[in-house]
Amino acid sequence: MDEQYIKIGSVEELLQSLQSPGAVILCGGTDLVVKMRKGLLSAKTLLDISDLDQLREIRQERGCIEIGAAVSFSQIIEEAIIREQIPILAMGLRKLGSTQIRNRGTIGGNLVNASPAADSAIPLLLLDAEVVIADSTGERRVQLEDFLCGPGKTVLKQGEFLSGIRVPIPDPEFSSFFHKVGRRKALTIAIASLGALLRMKDDAIDEIRLAAGSVAPAPIRLHPVETLLAGRRVTPQSVEQARNIIRQCISPITDLRATADYRYQVIADLLARLLLTMPN
Amino acid sequence: MKISFTLNGKQILVEADEETRLLDLLREDLHHTGTKEGCGEGECGACTVLIDGRAVNSCLVLAPQVDGKELLTIEGLSQSVSLSSADQGDECRLHPIQRAFAEKGAVQCGFCTPGFIMSTYALLLKNSNPTDEQILTALEGNLCRCTGYLKILEAVRYAAELMRGNK
Repeated sequence: MDEQYIKIGSVEELLQSLQSPGAVILCGGTDLVVKMRKGLLSAKTLLDISDLDQLREIRQERGCIEIGAAVSFSQIIEEAIIREQIPILAMGLRKLGSTQIRNRGTIGGNLVNASPAADSAIPLLLLDAEVVIADSTGERRVQLEDFLCGPGKTVLKQGEFLSGIRVPIPDPEFSSFFHKVGRRKALTIAIASLGALLRMKDDAIDEIRLAAGSVAPAPIRLHPVETLLAGRRVTPQSVEQARNIIRQCISPITDLRATADYRYQVIADLLARLLLTMPN
Repeated sequence: MKISFTLNGKQILVEADEETRLLDLLREDLHHTGTKEGCGEGECGACTVLIDGRAVNSCLVLAPQVDGKELLTIEGLSQSVSLSSADQGDECRLHPIQRAFAEKGAVQCGFCTPGFIMSTYALLLKNSNPTDEQILTALEGNLCRCTGYLKILEAVRYAAELMRGNK
């Protein structure tokens, strides 16, 4: 490693520095430093945005909460407006890494890293979050679902950076679920994870949103299962149908953590558990 | 490049390569070897230190990132209750958390201990009377291969009592 290191002091400086070839943004370092040391990533210049205050704010404005890309997971979990208005996000992030990792790792970093297992992506997909992408000409917004393209791949182009995430505040009637299967509770990369936002009406499911991790090239929303379940009561038949449909939505692989077969089984079981244990 | 930060209450200025990890800066350049390297990937917590009051893995932080920050390592913890008289026994210089770990037998090989103690310190800094669940969350990033964790849990409960002045 013989990178040049620049501590970035403003968004303007960041945009300018991003022009140089081989420039890589560094923030919490929880993924990046490990990758660099393993030789999986080479950078000519490291642009450290960890002290860039413009990207470290959480703001509420007109039905939305905006979270800067360099906000740490701990900051998000501790923020009262997040816990009150989008509890699913705090719930999911508490399962991410460990205390030390949550103190350093950032929401923008987790999304740009684009792991199929990214824990922060599950609640954000459920919330219909948008990412804000900036370059020297301005800003564009992209649905998170469209931002994540596959392992390590996003729609970010040369010269662009992820400046923040916009989360529409959901109906407070939604109940939140997040379940992650792994080898241990902390510091585990999910074998499979399932999150849900659920609202009931007269003993039937009024609306359900579902998202899963580690069962496709990127974390995904499970729209066909959502459509199937909307307006229906939870019965042995509807659970069985949902189990079948969810298997068609995913494309898991066998890797060092689990087999594809196991992932098919466990994601269907997580969904059944969620449906059978939900509040009336 | 030159890096300036507060280490255990003292302002220091050091020269470090840009890609040096904080862990290596502490151990190799500053000879603060209480901070240990276990996995080097943020999985084990043996290298835990506090930056601006929060527990972090020093193996995942690059040295220039701590410029202007306040760092606390295990060495700073024992100093912070050090007594002026040189003839006081070692035990007197221990921080209450260190005393609790020793008294409750929460140490076997000792390699993970500085990390556990720093994570405990970060917890008790914010929460003087944590529940068992809060203790386990604070320590979830630290691995111990010897103790089976029960004695560590006991030690943290006891340390909290000591620091609240109950014993």
